[in-house]
Formats: sequence, C-alpha cells, structure tokens
Amino acid sequence: MLRERLIAALGSDAVKTEPEDLAVYSFDAYTDGGRPVAVVLPKSTQEVSAVVKIARDCGEPIVARGAGTGLCGGAVPTAGGVIVSLMRMNRILELDLRNRRVRVQPGLMNLDLSRQVAPEGLFYAPDPSSQQISTIGGNIATNAGGPHCLSYGTTVNHVLGLEVVDDAGEVFVTSIEDAGYDLTAALVGSEGTLGLVTSAWLRLLALPEAVRVWVAAFDGMDAASEAVSAIIAAGIVPTALEMMDAVIIGAVEAAFHAGYPTDAAALLLVESAGFEEDVAASEEAIHAIVKQHGAHYWKSAHTLAERNALWAGRKGAAGATGRIAPNYYTQDVCVPRSKLPQALRAVEAAARINRITVGNVFHAGDGNLHPLLMYDKSDARQVAAVVETGNVILESAIELGGTISGEHGIGWEKRDAMTRVYSTADLAVMGRVRDVFDPRRMLNPEKIFPSGARCPEVTPP
Amino acid sequence: MKAPSDSVAPKTAAEAGEILARCDRAGEKVSIVGGATLRGMGFPPERSDINLSTKRLSGVVANEQADLTVAARAGTPIQSLTALLSTQGQFIPFDAPRPQYATVGGTLAAGWLGPRRHLYGRLRDYLIGSTIVLADGTIARAGGMVVKNVSGYDMSRFYVGSFGTLGIIVQANFKTVPLPKHARLFLARLPERTRARVCAQLQTLPMRPAAAFWIDGFHKAVDGDDGAEGRVAVLLEGSEMLLERATRELRSALGRAGVPETRVLDAGARESFQRVVDAYVACLGERSVTYRIASLPHSCEPNAQRANELARRFEMRAETIVDVLNGDIIVRVSDLDARALGAKIEAFDDALHEIEPRAQVIASDHPNRIYLRVWGESPPAIAQMQALKARFDPNRTLNPGRFVGGI
Repeated sequence: MLRERLIAALGSDAVKTEPEDLAVYSFDAYTDGGRPVAVVLPKSTQEVSAVVKIARDCGEPIVARGAGTGLCGGAVPTAGGVIVSLMRMNRILELDLRNRRVRVQPGLMNLDLSRQVAPEGLFYAPDPSSQQISTIGGNIATNAGGPHCLSYGTTVNHVLGLEVVDDAGEVFVTSIEDAGYDLTAALVGSEGTLGLVTSAWLRLLALPEAVRVWVAAFDGMDAASEAVSAIIAAGIVPTALEMMDAVIIGAVEAAFHAGYPTDAAALLLVESAGFEEDVAASEEAIHAIVKQHGAHYWKSAHTLAERNALWAGRKGAAGATGRIAPNYYTQDVCVPRSKLPQALRAVEAAARINRITVGNVFHAGDGNLHPLLMYDKSDARQVAAVVETGNVILESAIELGGTISGEHGIGWEKRDAMTRVYSTADLAVMGRVRDVFDPRRMLNPEKIFPSGARCPEVTPP
Repeated sequence: MKAPSDSVAPKTAAEAGEILARCDRAGEKVSIVGGATLRGMGFPPERSDINLSTKRLSGVVANEQADLTVAARAGTPIQSLTALLSTQGQFIPFDAPRPQYATVGGTLAAGWLGPRRHLYGRLRDYLIGSTIVLADGTIARAGGMVVKNVSGYDMSRFYVGSFGTLGIIVQANFKTVPLPKHARLFLARLPERTRARVCAQLQTLPMRPAAAFWIDGFHKAVDGDDGAEGRVAVLLEGSEMLLERATRELRSALGRAGVPETRVLDAGARESFQRVVDAYVACLGERSVTYRIASLPHSCEPNAQRANELARRFEMRAETIVDVLNGDIIVRVSDLDARALGAKIEAFDDALHEIEPRAQVIASDHPNRIYLRVWGESPPAIAQMQALKARFDPNRTLNPGRFVGGI
C-alpha cells in the first residue's frame, strides 16, 4: 500500500524498498543503524509534500536525509519509517547577485555552492569539514559550523529564509525579514524534527582580497591553548584558529606531507582573511604572540597552493588516523575558550585510563574540541573503552561550563545527554515548539529529545 | 484599553515567575516594560492589569573577558553594558536608539535591527544563552556561555523579536567581538540627482563601511544644520591603516557619483552615528508616524523615493533615513499638528501598504496609531506563529494583542 502509493506519486525510479537499497540508508556516519521501510528520492517540493502526506496516512515516520555525513545518527531511521533523501533536489534556484543572496535546494553540496558563485567574487561562508560531500539541507538541520565560523558565524547566521514542508505535507515559508516570530532561527538546527526544508535563501559574502595562513608549533598543548586565548584577547579575530596535537601531526604528515614540523607537540593553524592592510597587521601581531608563548616554529603561506597544502592536512586529519587504527569516533564538545587547557588534560586522562589512542584536531578559537578516539571495532574491549572515554569527555566539558555539542548536533547519539545540560523544564519548553510543528512526533522521532522517564514528549492540550 | 492598575518590578527570575503564575491563573493581563524606548513598535497591549518592569532585574552577572562572553540581566541599560565592554576593548552591535534608557531585554524582545548588522551580523547572532520566564511561571534556560552550541532547538534566538508575547527574557548571555579601534564618519550634501548613483557606489565599495545612510530631513539630528538638501553619512570602523584606505576609496567613489565635498569627523563619529539611530524612533510630539520598510539594498533608493512622493501627495512632510547597506527605509511622516495628521494618516497608511505591504509602524505618539496597519501584512507563516503563542501562553497573559496577527 505504502509502496504503491509512493510509486504512483514519484515514479518507480524514486522509490526504493529492496533490502539492499534499504541497507544503504540504514546508517549515517554514526555507528548505530536503523531500518527504513522505504526510501524516496523526490525531485521537487510538491513531491516531498506528497510523500509526507502518504507516510502520514500510513502511519509511518519521516526521516529527512542529505548526504548522510552526520556524526550523531541524526539521519538514522531508528524508528523505521520513510527516508526522504533530498539528494536529487540539488540545484541553485535563483542567484541574486546585486543583493548577494541565493536560493538553493537542500540537496546541493555545500562546496558546490561556493564553487558556483566564485566566478562572481562571492562565497558561502559555513564550511564544515564535510563540505565536499555534505548538503546545504543537512547543514541547516544541524546548524553546521566549520573552521571559518570563528569569524563568519554558523549556518544560522547565513540563512535568510526557508521553504518548509510541515508534518501534514503542507508548505510554508519563512523569512528573517518577516514580521512575527523568527521561525527561521527556530528551524535551523532542529535536525529534521520540525519540518523538511525544501529550499533556502542564503547569504553570500564577497571573497576576501587577501588570505594568509600561518602555522606555529609548540612544545605543549597548554602553551598552544594559551596562545589561542592571547590572540583572541588581543582583539584579533582570525577567520580560523585550529589546533592539532602530536598524534594528528604525525598521522597527517605520514598521509599528506602537508609540511608540518613533525617534532611538535602542538600546532596552531591560523588563517586571516580580509584586506591586505589588516591581514598584514594580523600576521605581525599573531607572530609576536605565539613567540611570546614559546612557539619554536613559524611558517607563513601566501600563495593559494601553499595555503591549500597547509589546509589539506587539517581537513584530511580524521581520515589520516586510519594509519593508526581502523576506526575512529569523533567527540564534539565546546568549552569556554579559557578552559581549553583543562579540557584537553581531561581528554588525555580519560584516554589514558581507558587505554585508547586519542588525537586532537579542533576549532580552538571557538573552544570547540573534536577528540578522535581511535579503535578497532572488532575488539569489544576497545569499543567499550571508546564509549566510556567519550562519556568522560562529555562530563568533563559540562563540568567546565561547556556544552555537549558545538556543531555536530544531538541526533540519536546524544539525546540522553540532553538531561545533563538542561532541566526537565528547559526540555519541556523545547517540547512546546515540537508540539506545534510535529504534535504526533512523526518527523525524525527519537532524536534530540531524551528517551525514558524524563522524556518531555507531552501531548498538546 | 484601560490604564494599568498595578506596577511591579521583580528583583529575581523566581519573583517574576511567581507574579506571572499568579496573574496567569487569575486571568490578569501583564504588560512588560523595559526602557520603553521602542514602545512605539507594535500595538499597545489590548488590556493591561499589571505592568511588569524589568528595571530591578538589572546588572551584569558574568563577564569572562578572556572568553569574550558576557551575561546581563534584562533591565541592564544598553549604555552601561556597552561602556563596560568598551573598557575591555569589546562590543556587541546593539545599535539601539537611546541606549541610556534602552535595556538589554527590551532591545532583544523588540528584535531591534541595527544599521551595523550588515558588517557585524544581527544582534540575535550574538546571543548564546538566555533565561526566560514563561506565562505559567516556568523558568527555562537555553544555551550557555559557550560560543558554539547545537544542543537542541535554539530557544534563545527564538524569543528575539517576540515582543514579550512568549515569555520574559530575564537574562541574556552574549558573545562579544573586539571593538574596532577607530571610527570615522563621512558627511556630505547629497543633491537629489546624485542619489541613485551614490547608493549604488556605497553598495559596491571594496571595503564595507560599518553603516551608510542617505538621510533626508533629519539634518538637525545628524549635524545640527537645517539645510535643504539630503545628506549622505557613512561610518567606517577598523584599524588606522584600514580607515586610511577606506577613506581614499570612499572619497573617490563619492566623487565619481557627483558628491561635491565631504566632511570627515573622527572625534564624535560614533556619537553622530548614534544620533542617526536615535532618530529612527524619534517622534515629533503627536504629529508624526514613523514607518520602517524592509527593502533590498538594490531597491531601497527607488522605494524610498516612492514612499516620499506618496507623503507629498498627501501633503505631509516626509523625512527619510535609508540604510543603503541593509536596505532599510525609515520614513517619518508628519503634519502641522495632531489633528491635521489624524485627518489623513489612515488614508496614507492604506496607500502606503498598497505599494509597501510590509511597512511597519515603529514610532508614533498619535492616538490614531492603533488604527494603522502597524505590523504590515501578515507574514505567510502566521498560523504557525499563532499556534506557538497558544502553546506558550494559552491564556494570553503576556502583552495580549501587542504582536502581529492579534498575538
């Protein structure tokens, strides 16, 4: 019945129900999986709307899906249902150069957007590390960040308006210029639980005239962390301020020969972009600060090729850990920037106690840690140790005044950790928003909101 | 509408929660007051039994200078927060009118959109956490003191611009940014024939100014001069070297567009900018109504022109501030006295909404203001907004009728 109706609405090439097809859509980049009853690949807003109506009639939940690069199981159909893959809706719909904005479909790759507007001297600022494969829709669902959100802000700062299919299959639109509640801000980061975004107006920025990237190496993570705080405290906001530890430096050098000094215990990758005058002044100031904090190595990249080489190491860091262990798990926590040294020590201690190799590569400027816990998933001891280490890191971030996710989201993985940072009342208030947009809890169920007794899944009056 | 029968000023979130819970049960309506600087935005509440002031919910509660974060209670005046941050070389672009009175909570609740958002981003994007008291007395926290946080729905941003109809913002946590070391203001006469070209030049400058206005009729507010022609005012902010280069580029761009001479102000540049922002909501007694028309940068010049012509057709005086970088048009229409204005303002309001359906009233002391389309046309998602109101404040206890669509 479901299958027939979906095929009637979308055509047989857009509906998948064979076990081998469903298997492909059972996972995202998180470890746990689920099993959908069907996968559909709509090509238009009308088709998305039709799918939601059919699923609703048949009592099936809906899970919207982009490229499936999410790290927290946000696109995993844990409660079954219909997966709506938005990958065929990947076009730029309108490019308004004079007002520097663009309307895109959700399946457009993040990097494709910047590539397509580059000839006009523009770019789209949010750049999660997955940007070569992840989609705008997925980025909106998780309010994705990336190295450059230090100065440009996360996805929500760049979304001007949305077209959304609601839980009943009806279409509504939002704009940050509209009178009324800021529904755009409420929807960004809601992980597919309030509606399915079918197009988005995005803000574009002018490409900077000057970009420089510097690498500074230190003898310890503490010194590097303090340099990070000192740079920010000096009134400099680089466009990116990333840190790597010795484990990552070693892995990256072996894989990419990025040109990092292999004897360093910590490395800062700093980028400044803007006007020639400011970038040059930043170089001088940052160089002085890192020297004061004991940097023993400094390299400046001016040309695009040199910059790309330095960035290649950072962007490929997670993949490079494959040389150390077959699997890795990325934790994502954010702490106040000045608490970085303590947070890093807590990571190191947790990994040591649980006998897990950890590599740190993260957005230091934002205080956003991404410890990579390396393991072999065929070894049960290691799997248990990774889970335990991840939890300890989460706890220590909370104790330092931090949060359970800086940019990856809550999804399936961290939903029970929500009770560690929010009271039952706080979560019930979020639940009120859910009540309005998805009273039957059919849009990406079992995500964000904790399971069990403290679950705020109240029924609306 | 009857006068408020009672005024309260809770000192803590818990006190505010008790008051609201009591009123909510008793069916009493609560209007929420900060600095009252933006009370001309939106409708007055249709009924008010209790006036809840945030004036005693004041002060900075956390200030992590090295982390570039600060948390302030709702009633904290913008000016005192800004002064504190500036001693630390930091700022938040509130850009609120009359910051000596305007409060942190009120500015957020009004969703105030300042001119410098083109360069620095929206105020809501500086908000990293909040404490809210809901109509039923629930005290809820969202976000925290970290600059990146994606733990569930972004409830802090959600209350920005909600005009106190969902809850009372009792505390706001912000990230800050380094305060630009230098500021410079450019002022020049703007002959009508050069206007379009000047706006186009300002929009395509290689170096983005912090703010750029075409101002017509608010001369006194800007430079104390009552001259007949309009003005162009451009605020530059940044390092000294950057300002030098931006100055050269701006001069040559304005020259190309036919602006004859430019006055440059270094001392007092930000104060002059503030006077322009103050003018956004300044009323001429009871004889003016000020509209905000959200436009796009590229079309703001002709749209502002059109609104001005309409006012002239109604034989009203029109004064304009056009924020050419964001596309905001501020038009203050006025007449000789309240009666003269009252005789035509409703017809003007109809005519204006014919050409600018989204025009909003942002300031007026005229009694007929409540008969105008204060919020402009309803937003497309009004049904969702009404449902949110019903879920957050089912008894319509908070600021009833103040917001769009009867919310």
